Amino acid sequence: MRKILVLFKREYLTAVKTKSFIISLVLVPIIMAGSFITFMIMDNNQDTTDKNFVVIDHSGIVAAHLEEQAELRNENAIFDPETGEKVQPAYILEFTDADMSDPSGQLAELSDRIRAKELHAVIEIGKDVLHPGDSTEEDYIRYYSETGFMDNVRGWFTNTINNHLRQLRVEELNLDPEVNRTLFAWTNIEAMGLAEIDKKTGETKEAERSNELQSFLIPYAMVILMFMMTLMSAVPLLSSVMEEKSEKIAEVLLGNVTPFEFMAGKVLGGVGVGLTVAAVYVGGAVITVSRLGVGDVIPMGLLPWFFVYLLLYILMVGSGMAALGATCNDNKDVQSIQFPAMLPVIFPMFVIVPIISNPAGTFATTLALIPPFTPTVMMIRMATPVTIPVWQPILGLLLVLLFTVFSIWVGARIFRTAILVQGQKPSIGNLFKYAFRS
Amino acid sequence: MNIIEIEDVTKRFGSVVAVNTLSLNVPKGSIYGFIGPNGSGKTTTIRMIMKIFYPDGGTIKINGKPHDGRRLNNVGYLPEDRGLYKKMKVHDVLMFHGELGGGSDLKNKIAYWLDLLDLSDYASKKVETLSKGMRQKLQFIATVMNEPELIILDEPFSGLDPVNAEILRESILNLQKKGSTIIFSTHDMSMAEKMCDNIFMIYKGEKVLDGTLNEIQDQYGADTMVVQSTGGEAILQGIQGIEKINNFGKLQEIRLRPEANPQQIIGEILKKTEVQKFEITKPSLNDIFIRIAAPERKEVNHA
Repeated sequence: MRKILVLFKREYLTAVKTKSFIISLVLVPIIMAGSFITFMIMDNNQDTTDKNFVVIDHSGIVAAHLEEQAELRNENAIFDPETGEKVQPAYILEFTDADMSDPSGQLAELSDRIRAKELHAVIEIGKDVLHPGDSTEEDYIRYYSETGFMDNVRGWFTNTINNHLRQLRVEELNLDPEVNRTLFAWTNIEAMGLAEIDKKTGETKEAERSNELQSFLIPYAMVILMFMMTLMSAVPLLSSVMEEKSEKIAEVLLGNVTPFEFMAGKVLGGVGVGLTVAAVYVGGAVITVSRLGVGDVIPMGLLPWFFVYLLLYILMVGSGMAALGATCNDNKDVQSIQFPAMLPVIFPMFVIVPIISNPAGTFATTLALIPPFTPTVMMIRMATPVTIPVWQPILGLLLVLLFTVFSIWVGARIFRTAILVQGQKPSIGNLFKYAFRS
Repeated sequence: MNIIEIEDVTKRFGSVVAVNTLSLNVPKGSIYGFIGPNGSGKTTTIRMIMKIFYPDGGTIKINGKPHDGRRLNNVGYLPEDRGLYKKMKVHDVLMFHGELGGGSDLKNKIAYWLDLLDLSDYASKKVETLSKGMRQKLQFIATVMNEPELIILDEPFSGLDPVNAEILRESILNLQKKGSTIIFSTHDMSMAEKMCDNIFMIYKGEKVLDGTLNEIQDQYGADTMVVQSTGGEAILQGIQGIEKINNFGKLQEIRLRPEANPQQIIGEILKKTEVQKFEITKPSLNDIFIRIAAPERKEVNHA
């Protein structure tokens, strides 16, 4: 145990004392926070340059209303009422008749004006837009622009035109104005969490409004953090063990320590590095959100699970990486084995969205109970507002524990033989031979 | 009392027998030299003593205790392939190895050894900035700084200049005086002759020599003449009774045929030239090594 501690100390200090470690420790949150802040600033600082549109109204019933609404908007909605500062672009509409002899030529000409930045978009309103369904050809509203699908401005036209069309349809029915008032009332469904009874006080805790932060951002942040910790602490063991083998440091050490002690020291060094980084980030996040007065967004109850799973995850991946590193003779071997070795770590990253959308589904549940994926997948599921049966994280933990012990055992067997074998490639056949036949 | 007892030990690598039914006892407090051509089984034997390799047959006892899978404490090992963490500083490397070996008062020990081997100025330098010879000395310090009971040095003098080789030789003798048992393998026969209480030679995995220098030389008798003459090697050619001439330039070592008469041979030489030095002696270790290993020059491939 003493020798493992000496090896651990060297491994840990060598890793955390490097400039690159300190730089990445500081830079990662800065980059993440920076990109978030940039996004917020960009989102708030909307483009306020006025936008020109051409409207071709085949129906003849929308243009006048659009013009009126655009003017109303330009007068009232584009300036901040308190500061008087311009916060939205004005919409300047130009109405043109359809060129029935050459409609495509007209569109091409207008498109060129969009390309030349004279116009932002062209809106074309079909002839039969008031009563859609009667004709499949002429009941459209089209929006031609460079940004097309992503353009936020499209929403204003959609709402303004549709509200006007509804109004016209209602007028045709000659309804009581009182009915008219509530006819188009639209009620959004609010997404709520679940109510619960506080076991200590017996009081009912009311259901809270669930939001994107809870249902997406927290699970996402946790799994990304776990993935990053593993990348920083366990994956580098692959090349560091290879170096110790090719530089003959391994033999010097093996005169003094057993292969198991050697591997354990290295893997624990990785665990130390991972937990240090995690503690810094999680601690930083907790302090930051408490200062901001939104401390309750961090699910404190989950943090012990997070650290236990992270610890086992790094042990599991680290012992595998160290064993594989022992089978490599040079950087070329490391490169050839790195991607397949990392696949089990990367795979959950590809399925984050389906797991977050349905954390209690069969796919997520099954994946969460397959040990190499358990730590990340179970954490995603536990971090979502959906209730996961208590036995699942516990069973997952037991399975991960068993698999980690197995991984260390196989890893150590591969390691102890491979570390002194020169010139053999890290093939599956060799791995099997080292693990089970020597 | 023996510190190492090797009995009928065999080690195979696939179909190659690297060490074959080897038995060897190393007395406590001795300096034991391991010699043999490259690939004859020296390093494999050392690795088995260090428990890095498991023998396929036979037993190895250290201090009377058989192999139990744990690493040996109080043993210093300098392997043939040197390896140091290049990015670590000299002082930190020694501290790491010192702690791994369970040593105490490490700061003073490190200062003492760095001073002894003239490396004090490099204590805060990274290993990668050192020359090959300096790294060799650094690795030697890492091996012996805790003054372990048993020190195993695989080719400790290779790559060292004569001054540093001499410093290392004195250090090894000092360690012996302080009670350590030292095993070292070498290709430097004169160093082995000068330093070793016992010499063991392994050839193609078999023990071919084992004993003190005198015991080994006695097996070959006084069949060697050392001659220093004005005529040099040329005048020795064609003289009856000479089996082989080892020409060292200014000095020739002559191996005599069993039936040869040394007096007759010196008479023949004196007839041809002026003799400055003449001695009938036992064969040197170098000569014995060549007698055993030269008939087949092909190197064996296993470690």
